[in-house]
Amino acid sequence: MPDPIISIQGVSKYFGDFMAVEDITIDIEPGEIFALLGPSGCGKSTLLRMIAGFEDPSEGRVLIGGEDMTGVPANKRPVNMVFQSYAVFPHMTVSQNVAYGLKMDGLPKAEIKEKVAEALEQVHLSQFAARLPDQLSGGQRQRVALARALAKRPRVLLLDEPLSALDAKLRDAMRLELVKLQESVGVSFVMVTHDQSEALAMADRVAVLKDGKLMQLADPMTLYQKPANRFVADFIGRVNFFDVTQSTKGSAEIIAGPLGALTLPAPVTGTGEHVLALRPEYIRLSPAKEGGLTGTLGDVGFQGDSSIVEVTLEGGKQVQALAGPEDTTMLLSLGTGAAVALSIDLSQARLLPA
Amino acid sequence: MEHYRQNLRAFAAFFVPSAGWLLVFFVVPLAIIFVYSVSETISLTEIKTTWTFENYARLLEPEILTLFWRSLWLAGISTVICLCVGYPVALVIATAPAKVKPWLLLLIILPFWTNLLIRTYALLNILGTRGRLNGLLEWIWTQGDRALTFIGLGAYDLIGEDFEPITFLGRWSGVIIGLVYVHLPFAILPIYASLEKLDRSYLEASLDLGAGQWRTFRSILLPMTMAGVMTAAIITFIPMLGSFLTPALLGRGQVDMIANVIERQFKGANELPFGSAMSLFLLYVTFIILAIQSFAASRGSRRGIK
Ligand SMILES: Nc1ncnc2c1ncn2[C@@H]1O[C@H](COP(=O)(O)OP(=O)(O)OP(=O)(O)O)[C@@H](O)[C@H]1O
Ligand SMILES: [Mg+2]
Repeated sequence: MPDPIISIQGVSKYFGDFMAVEDITIDIEPGEIFALLGPSGCGKSTLLRMIAGFEDPSEGRVLIGGEDMTGVPANKRPVNMVFQSYAVFPHMTVSQNVAYGLKMDGLPKAEIKEKVAEALEQVHLSQFAARLPDQLSGGQRQRVALARALAKRPRVLLLDEPLSALDAKLRDAMRLELVKLQESVGVSFVMVTHDQSEALAMADRVAVLKDGKLMQLADPMTLYQKPANRFVADFIGRVNFFDVTQSTKGSAEIIAGPLGALTLPAPVTGTGEHVLALRPEYIRLSPAKEGGLTGTLGDVGFQGDSSIVEVTLEGGKQVQALAGPEDTTMLLSLGTGAAVALSIDLSQARLLPA
Repeated sequence: MEHYRQNLRAFAAFFVPSAGWLLVFFVVPLAIIFVYSVSETISLTEIKTTWTFENYARLLEPEILTLFWRSLWLAGISTVICLCVGYPVALVIATAPAKVKPWLLLLIILPFWTNLLIRTYALLNILGTRGRLNGLLEWIWTQGDRALTFIGLGAYDLIGEDFEPITFLGRWSGVIIGLVYVHLPFAILPIYASLEKLDRSYLEASLDLGAGQWRTFRSILLPMTMAGVMTAAIITFIPMLGSFLTPALLGRGQVDMIANVIERQFKGANELPFGSAMSLFLLYVTFIILAIQSFAASRGSRRGIK
């Protein structure tokens, strides 16, 4: 494994008594897109700002390219940031904005000009070089901020909620464009987001944070399929939770809960109170027949290619199932209130600490 | 606002009193002054309106030009000092912790609760040759003298044989100190307001791009708060130009500004027409300054600086 480009080592941050970030250790690899994901107020921005040098860690340290950044001011760090509000200087033209950081490096005029042109080319803004920021759309302004940061050839580009100020359609287009841009320039991106689908779609690896603590660090697939705890399972995608009690009987794991007594194929450790997490796509619905697990059909939330179906189990527990196009037609013809049978793919269930 | 036509009476209820007030206490007096400014003093008690421009022509007399020039540079220098002192103070307030901020602002507007006349008399007390300021300077001089004696240089009178108090009163230095003192809050507040409005992330972006603190101040902070600085300049310069009390008391009749001479025309010299012409001239200058400012502001807002 290559040396990490950024190494966050046991970093904590207090604001007075309040602990915004708590003992976080993360290594970020060169060339990856790394996402910091979590609900509002979980400390993602604070962590990013400690990498950029706008906040000092209360404990721990940040290394960039193997060098300890403690005491190094923001203007001396080899990283650049795209701000949530973009912070494109309103009194400078697009090209002056991009040139600003290069001037600070003391580059000769001709080289600055060349690099500005190149950076604007990269974000498709060449024809807007002479415009002032208030003559640009939100998406264009964001690209100015990107070009301005990338022109400095940072070792890592930091992005704070890069897409949150854009409308839904543009946001989707920019996701792809950002990933392409990252591939072409090759620098690592560290991006903050509270949007799980954004993190899953763009990032190579994701750190999920809650109340300043690291809940799980993994690639998107693992986060989705093998969440480490209830919070991650709930935060990422849709999920059904079943409170269960586990007892070990021989080698098979017998679980008692609202689904009845089940035997999990995957080995699990420990006994006692647990929660079983099951994604809606692993619950298949069919017209009720004798025996097996049954429930009452509730709302069918049609989404075009599939639907999210509510089912109430006999004990009153509500679950969500994902139905494909054919099943949707079948379920709609049954109508709300009909009895349905549930078949569960237990191999995809996760047993998590309660 | 377009609905006022539909509700004429309600509109009139608001409009008539305020318009009447402006008419009686502003437009009419101004008209009278204007008529005076084109009149002639015939005898000690009689003034005749002859639509002459003689009074305006007299503004070009060398001693009047000197007076205008002196007023302009006194107000100009004082304005520059107000801005140079006011900007850092505004910056300190704007970056102060949220709890301290209201108290600092209170300190800035506190002087307004005391009458200007009383504050100016207080300044007389401070700036006099035996005033507090010279008292402080004398104390510093004495300490310095002692220190020099102590290290064996006492015999050379390096800082003078005796302490010589500095004269402020009746000099332009005293008038400038007074003008700055009186108008400083007016400079601080608009600059503070523009700093407060500024999004911090612009400054962080500048640092992030490799600029130092000083460079960030020069290239980002100052240009982006220029509107506040301009406002501060205007609302200190204009009243300074027409200020009366400060030069009258601190200048002791030796550092007259326009308003002092105008007052003399009306009171002593029985030169109402000439005094009126001077007053109106001052008004014209003010208009010109405001016109320049609004022109600059509209250009600024086109460049995205609000
Ligand atoms: N300068 C500060 N002083 C005091 N508390 C702060 C400061 N900055 C952040 N906090 C607190 O630290 C916590 C984390 O803030 P942070 O900005 O990192 O959240 P975030 O995860 O980026 O949230 P969001 O998605 O809403 O931007 C919040 O509870 C916030 O109130
Ligand atoms: Mg944030």
